[in-house]
Amino acid sequence: MNVVRVKDIFVKELSVDFRMQYALASIFLFAATIVFVIYKSFNNINPREWVIMLWVIMLFAALNAIVKSFLQEKKETYLYYYTLFNPIDLLIAKLVYNFVFLVSLLTVIILIMTFFSGFPVKDLGLFTLGSLLGIAGISVVFTFVSIMSSSGGGHSTLMSILALPLVLPILLLLLKISTVSVRLIVDTSVGNDVMLLLGVDCILLGAVFMLFPMLWRS
Amino acid sequence: MKSTANHIKWIFSFLLNIILLSQVHAQGDSLDFLRSTGKIYTVVAVIVIIFIGIVMYLYRIDNKLTKLENQFKNEQ
Amino acid sequence: MKIKGMWWKTLGVIIFIYVLTGGMLVPLKSGILHTTPSSAKCGTTVNIDITGYNTHFSSAKNIRAWLKADSVHAIQAVEVKPVDEIKSVVTFHIPDALPTPDKTQPLTLIMDNELDGIFVQPNAIFVTMADTVSANGALWKSSNLNNFSQVDQFVFPYRNILHETIRNIFFHVALWFAMFILLIAGVYYAILYIRTKDYIYDIKSSSYTKIAVLYGLLGLATGSVWAKFTWNTFWTDDVKLNMTAVTILIYLAYLVLRSTFTDTDRRAKMSSAYNIFAFVAMIPLLFVIPRMADSLHPGNGGNPALGGEDLDHTLRMFFYPAVIALALLGTWMAQLTIRYEHLKEKYFEKHN
Repeated sequence: MNVVRVKDIFVKELSVDFRMQYALASIFLFAATIVFVIYKSFNNINPREWVIMLWVIMLFAALNAIVKSFLQEKKETYLYYYTLFNPIDLLIAKLVYNFVFLVSLLTVIILIMTFFSGFPVKDLGLFTLGSLLGIAGISVVFTFVSIMSSSGGGHSTLMSILALPLVLPILLLLLKISTVSVRLIVDTSVGNDVMLLLGVDCILLGAVFMLFPMLWRS
Repeated sequence: MKSTANHIKWIFSFLLNIILLSQVHAQGDSLDFLRSTGKIYTVVAVIVIIFIGIVMYLYRIDNKLTKLENQFKNEQ
Repeated sequence: MKIKGMWWKTLGVIIFIYVLTGGMLVPLKSGILHTTPSSAKCGTTVNIDITGYNTHFSSAKNIRAWLKADSVHAIQAVEVKPVDEIKSVVTFHIPDALPTPDKTQPLTLIMDNELDGIFVQPNAIFVTMADTVSANGALWKSSNLNNFSQVDQFVFPYRNILHETIRNIFFHVALWFAMFILLIAGVYYAILYIRTKDYIYDIKSSSYTKIAVLYGLLGLATGSVWAKFTWNTFWTDDVKLNMTAVTILIYLAYLVLRSTFTDTDRRAKMSSAYNIFAFVAMIPLLFVIPRMADSLHPGNGGNPALGGEDLDHTLRMFFYPAVIALALLGTWMAQLTIRYEHLKEKYFEKHN
């Protein structure tokens, strides 16, 4: 692993995305529209709906955003990368970039939702920790799926559907942690959930690192 | 191919009947057939489901094999 | 005519027949189906009508019965009158006071005879004492709760609500274990494929996974039938159930993924990678999360775990063979699929 390389790729990703502003804007527009629609139809959003809505919007926005991330570049560019970088460097850069991107996406969604329907979170520390771990897991899974869809040359929409069952366990844990953090239910063993989420993240990360070099070669 | 469709139709109507029957029985209080004699018929139902599942899989494989065999035959 | 691997296929069938006959024919231990009345007052004499299951009340000579409050407090029945083999009337003089300060207490009914051995019905009767009386443990001391009959039986344990459906352990539960064995086989061949790039391993991997999915779906179907007639619902909000559903969704996605590729090489690579990833993602689902939440299934939320009293010696004699038999039958089906896919591959190779 070469930290400078990783940083280079990371910066490159960032600049590419900022140059394609319409893509970013469309994702944020998507989030804003959904929040507004749900706000209008419920009129008053209670904490439980808030939590569920947050993660469902997050899930679909993330799905749109990340599956694209490996697809937006041309085949030739990949060949170029292949000669230039160590695959592990590239993977780490992609993972870090996706993670950062999803965190900022979540922040924006939370801001929009707070604007419309308030911010019901009571235990901010738990919420932040849980969200970060959950997003880490989601970004690992989605990165894996996007790698598959780019090297498989298959249908990108179908690939994104395949990603959904894989993130379900993470999503369920996330929902539970966030429900605890808005104090809808009291659960003394929520620490276990956080640990479990961390464990799931680590396992998935390990699997991606194991499988990536093989997938990358094609 | 038409017979396959008929088979599937038959199987579906059979399963539907079973489900409907069990619903009807579930509404009757003590007449519930599957709950009688220590619920032994639940065990029977479970075994039957497993059996049907395995047989249906074998049936599908058999079908596919027959098609392949026909392809080989046409070639010769 | 010679069949490949005849010996283990025969073995699988023989073990399955053994499980079927043994699992269905071994009787259930005696137990109590229900009792009336369900409540009584202190200081009265109650006649409890007992309906037993697999009991021998009229043939037995020495029937005894107790009502037990806790480990040291119990009373013995004054009279046990058998009506027929499964029905009897037991008479108790309930003392004036309960042994503990609680005003209402559930009592456990214990019965014992020389033919059926000892059997219990927890919370058989709720006894209430008057507000004016204070607890008196001494009244509950002379119970003579000992000298249980030792009966040498070959029976499956009797469980309330479950009754005969305890036999489903050999079919429903064993199905899950067999599914897991097949999934391991699938992932093993997926790893082999990635190592060697030999297409036959991909065929093997996908076939084992396919059979595992079939087993999983059958497991869900049998589980919901079992649940319908024990918990009275097809689907509960049970953690284990939902996690299993997620697992099956993941593997169904695997099958969908396979069907989208036309290029075999690419399909093999993608699906092997997905298979390994899915397996890794599944481990916390099936083993970690269910242990953390309450569940109706054994081993969760205070329910006894498999391996403890629940899976006793007699059950184990059929449960492990059932797992082996179902795994062998699954392997057989997978082998058929593998041979079919292999042939198909050869056929297409010849024509392109």
